[in-house]
Amino acid sequence: MLITCPYCGPRDVSEFTYQGDGNRQRPAPASQNLDAWNEYVYERLNPAGDHNEVWQHSGGCRSHLRVVRNTLTHEISSVAFARGHVAHRSPAKRGTKT
Amino acid sequence: MSPRRATSGGRIDRLRTIHFTFDGAPCTGHAGDTLASALLASGVTLFGRSFKYHRPRGVLTAGIDEPNALVTVLRGDVREPNIPATTVEIYDGLVAESQNRFPSLAWDISAINQLAGKLISAGFYYKTFMGPAIGPLKGTRFWMLCERFIRRAAGLGRAGRAADPSRYERMNAFCDVLIVGSGPAGLMAAASAADNGARVILAELDARLGGSANWSGEIIDGMPAAEWAAGLAEGLKAHNNIRVLPRTTVWGFYDGNTLAALERVTDHKERLGKGEPRHRHWVIRAKKVVLATGALERPMVFPGNDRPGVMLAGAARRYANEFGVLAGGKVALFTNNDTAYHAATALQKAGASVAAIFDVRANVSDAMRNLASDAGAEVHAGHAVVGTEGSRALAGVKVQRFDSTNGALSGESRTVEADCLLMSGGWSPAIHLASQAGGKAQWDAELQAFLAPQAAGNWIGAGAFNGSFSTAEAIAEGHAAGLAATGSKAAANDDLPVADAVAGDPAPASVFEIRANGKSFVDFQHDVTAEDVRLAHREGFVSVEHLKRYTTLGMATDQGKTSNIPGLAIMAEALGKPIPEVGTTRFRPPFAPVSVGSLAAERYGDIRAERLTPMHDWHLEHGATMYAAGLWHRPMVYGDPGETIEQSYVREAKTTRETAGIVDVSTLGKIAVQGPDAAELLDRVYTNMFSTLAIGKARYGLMLREDGIALDDGTTWRLGQNDFLMTTTTANAGKVMQHLEYFLDLIWPELKVTLTSVTDQWAGAAIGGPQARAILANCVKETPVDNTALPFMGIVHGRIAGVPVMICRLSFSGEMAFEVYCGADYGTRVWQALMDAGKPFGLVPYGLEALGTMRIEKGHVTGAELDGRTTARDLHLDWMLSKKKPFIGSAMMDRNGLATPDRLQLVGLVSLDSRALSGGAHVVEELDEQNPHGSIGHVTAACYSPALGKYIALALVKGGKARHGSRAFVSDPLRKRFGPVEIVSHHFYDAEGSRMHG
Amino acid sequence: MAERLSPLEPVLRQGSYGQFENGVGIILSETAPGSIVQLAAWPGQEKAIIAAIKKATGLALPDGAGGGVASSTKAAFGFAPAKFMVVDEAEGVAEALAKAVAPEGGTVTDLSHGRTAIRISGPKAEWVLAKFFAIDFSLVAFPVGAGRSTMHHDIFAQIQRSAADQYDVYVFRSFARSFWHTLRRGCEEVGYEVR
Repeated sequence: MLITCPYCGPRDVSEFTYQGDGNRQRPAPASQNLDAWNEYVYERLNPAGDHNEVWQHSGGCRSHLRVVRNTLTHEISSVAFARGHVAHRSPAKRGTKT
Repeated sequence: MSPRRATSGGRIDRLRTIHFTFDGAPCTGHAGDTLASALLASGVTLFGRSFKYHRPRGVLTAGIDEPNALVTVLRGDVREPNIPATTVEIYDGLVAESQNRFPSLAWDISAINQLAGKLISAGFYYKTFMGPAIGPLKGTRFWMLCERFIRRAAGLGRAGRAADPSRYERMNAFCDVLIVGSGPAGLMAAASAADNGARVILAELDARLGGSANWSGEIIDGMPAAEWAAGLAEGLKAHNNIRVLPRTTVWGFYDGNTLAALERVTDHKERLGKGEPRHRHWVIRAKKVVLATGALERPMVFPGNDRPGVMLAGAARRYANEFGVLAGGKVALFTNNDTAYHAATALQKAGASVAAIFDVRANVSDAMRNLASDAGAEVHAGHAVVGTEGSRALAGVKVQRFDSTNGALSGESRTVEADCLLMSGGWSPAIHLASQAGGKAQWDAELQAFLAPQAAGNWIGAGAFNGSFSTAEAIAEGHAAGLAATGSKAAANDDLPVADAVAGDPAPASVFEIRANGKSFVDFQHDVTAEDVRLAHREGFVSVEHLKRYTTLGMATDQGKTSNIPGLAIMAEALGKPIPEVGTTRFRPPFAPVSVGSLAAERYGDIRAERLTPMHDWHLEHGATMYAAGLWHRPMVYGDPGETIEQSYVREAKTTRETAGIVDVSTLGKIAVQGPDAAELLDRVYTNMFSTLAIGKARYGLMLREDGIALDDGTTWRLGQNDFLMTTTTANAGKVMQHLEYFLDLIWPELKVTLTSVTDQWAGAAIGGPQARAILANCVKETPVDNTALPFMGIVHGRIAGVPVMICRLSFSGEMAFEVYCGADYGTRVWQALMDAGKPFGLVPYGLEALGTMRIEKGHVTGAELDGRTTARDLHLDWMLSKKKPFIGSAMMDRNGLATPDRLQLVGLVSLDSRALSGGAHVVEELDEQNPHGSIGHVTAACYSPALGKYIALALVKGGKARHGSRAFVSDPLRKRFGPVEIVSHHFYDAEGSRMHG
Repeated sequence: MAERLSPLEPVLRQGSYGQFENGVGIILSETAPGSIVQLAAWPGQEKAIIAAIKKATGLALPDGAGGGVASSTKAAFGFAPAKFMVVDEAEGVAEALAKAVAPEGGTVTDLSHGRTAIRISGPKAEWVLAKFFAIDFSLVAFPVGAGRSTMHHDIFAQIQRSAADQYDVYVFRSFARSFWHTLRRGCEEVGYEVR
């Protein structure tokens, strides 16, 4: 699998570290809402199809990237720097919780 | 000249004789021969014994699809078993052995298995050896009894025990177009892609480029096809944008058009060049791939089809045309298609006598009849071979009238004398790579073959791969593919080479098996017969996947290259369904066996990566026993002659506490945290405050994970308003860096902070003990180091031996201690200066063992306690949890489960039987050596404490704090260590810290 | 100033090695620059940092991902978004850069001791580097002057193509000897000279 890093260009997946579900929303730091924290820390989407993921180009420029990857075909439809991109959750793409 | 070598023809060099041995006997061949062609030329027909029945086997094919003629190749003490003789290039001094025979190939004792055939039919292992052990001769227990004998009798070559000294390498490559296969289609594709200026890689699994051109015997552009191909291949070398890789098998087609290939760099060489790898594992990222992988011929399934002397017709044609070798002197052919007729011509031209062609089809075209008559062969249309005669070599074939519309045999059988039977059951395009790339293979009813799925990967097919079996089609499709892969189009008036060949009908009759009495083999390598397939059906296996596993059809090292389609056809007939409804299995990598060495490549042995500290050589020169801590190499102890490890570390720790010791701490993770928001970031990631830290001061910090579990600890030094130096534990350096980067990139992108790994920038030495300050005072210039200038957690800048140093007073050992940092390239110089300054005081260097001992005595935690399950409270670090601010983990750390009093908590243990404790042992309330149970925790670290004169340990024990002063036991059944301990506070030594505060 | 000790010093032995009888494919050397400095720009401050590099070193860094410039004594290249590496034969460039970069522009981090610079040059340089790094070393994909961040298993590396047949590889100091050993192994088949 190749991921096209917006800085470094296409690189082998072995240069990247998977950093989890990109749909998660961190509650405000001082929030005492345990349910919200619980959802953020433990719950992950696991859709069969396009999935918002976070990858770090740990063996390259070390940027974190927001990657939309199809979990069925491994096809990557978009890659963008995570920095400056507000985490967004697209309700249409919500899959099954696991 | 040897009995089966034609006097002329072929691509071998008759002037160069190569000497090798097979089963110890000296043999010869010519340069350009494979082991199979050389042995065939010498008249060898028997190549091996079969897997299960130990039937004598000859050579079936001429290439990578060979199921029978597997040999072991020896180089020095290294044995490589199960190599098809058809793929071994001979060289002077080659040593090869046949396999699976005892005591010899010609007389094999296990051949008696043939008589017991009924007992070892499909599912034999499952039926006999699986299930509960009822009675003495059934089930898994019986298997355990029989395994040694069966393993010896069945199976393949023996692996050697000698270590493989070969070198293996990985190679990364990028190209616009990768072309797999160098037959006419591949060569044409390579030429047109390279002409278009693309970066091209052409991979060919054989040594010689040209593929079918080497053995078709056809004429291209007025010259023999082989010459035409050689000329084209030579022309490709003139392009500097093409890399040609002979002896390279492309075996995997992965996502993103990443392909894996194995190049056999030196397997064909007598002597290796200096530094040459044996195999090279290529990882090729190609924008486009042209698959010109050709097709594989299928055998016919009939009784006795495995007798030595029975060979695929295309293989015999190849031996004759490419190697000048006759598969037999008196040849018969058996076919369901036209291609066998070309084989008849080739053999006749090479000097064999062709007795007859038996064709299952009632009608044979005039063109084919003409070919047959040119070859002097009688054509028997509507006939089938129903048996073979001879023992270790073919003597004759039994034939009968055959009706291809219903498979019925009729009339009397008669025997035709022949020492060689060439069969052809049609051709299957080699679609393996396309299948790996994704998609379902499509059945072509006319060609009676599966064609590649519609492109899922970014590839283009050409030639026989597409089911386009003629050379003219291969040339046109290869040309078009090469252009298409580089973004242009073939035109109708493109000047293409002209192939001159007698056109045949590419479609075979749909006859795969002749049903008559006797064993008819489908999978030659795994000894699976047609009857085995039907038995599997009768026993209820309907899915092709189940069929495969139950009979092991197609699961041998050849992965069913010759057997898949015949097996499927027989299953389909048994099920009464058409072949496409029964389906085919999807091909998986690798296309052909891959050496494990090539995959391990540079990750193996002495070229594995390791990390060395700046003072590494000093440690070695001063007697250190090194210890691998992750990738780092660190001194374990600096042993004096005659000391045990324990004696060494006890001496080192004792001296440190009495006078002074020094330890290399360069491995500690160090992260430069810089920027106007650096302090803010630290406040958010540490449980305690850092924004309040004064410049020139250090503070101990604890980090939690989001879920409230402890992540790492360490000191962070404030070097400037916007400039911090964070230290982490050695093991967690990478993890902490990634943790911080994640938050900075995803959660707090507004913070202006730069994170840089500076672990390697600084050499670090921790010097501690009652004399440590005096030693520093002895060598540090440009700054005082007294209590006022350098209080606990203070930082000063000065010079040692002329080198700028940064000194922080902090303690891991519990003694008055200082960490001295300098630029890594000065590390040894500063270290040596400290040693010199400490000499009058009795300063000793100490290693990881003494470091561990002193930290256990002090009850400091490290990775063993920060195990991903413990909280700050469990480790008695709750005093570090700030209530003034949120931090990572603050929201989750107070959840019920993390705050209950019966959690595993850090305690100290003292051995009450004066014996050593060891990490990993359980702690129990009641000792039961026979039935160990009731664990209340475990030991995380243990040592002999010179300060206490006792064996002590740190442990995580349920409700640990409440158990202080109580007795328990260690229970370690694996190491047979049981005994009483007292549970105490983890602060064994100087709990008030009076020593380090001085 | 005291003399610096490179991690390669005890293992770097000049001479010709491997299969060099038919010519040397590779020349290996340690460039041992006096200064290796990392600069990072805050968002929108890249141009200010590039200007600061110009002011302190005279190197005109081209804009764009991985862009770089190299002379016989100094070099600079981008290796990550808004991050640059400046390398100079002379010591003390970190201090000069620190003066040239305002806190509101970005940060300067001295890595002069933390990275080891190995120069790989010769007609087989691309071939040998391709054994270790899964990046495209061809001139079309990796122009002269450009920088790349990549890795060989655990060994993180920043690579600048300092000439058509010449690459400077910056590895973490602690890995330098291990990487040197691995590199020499990879060079053997093409013949190499250590300078």
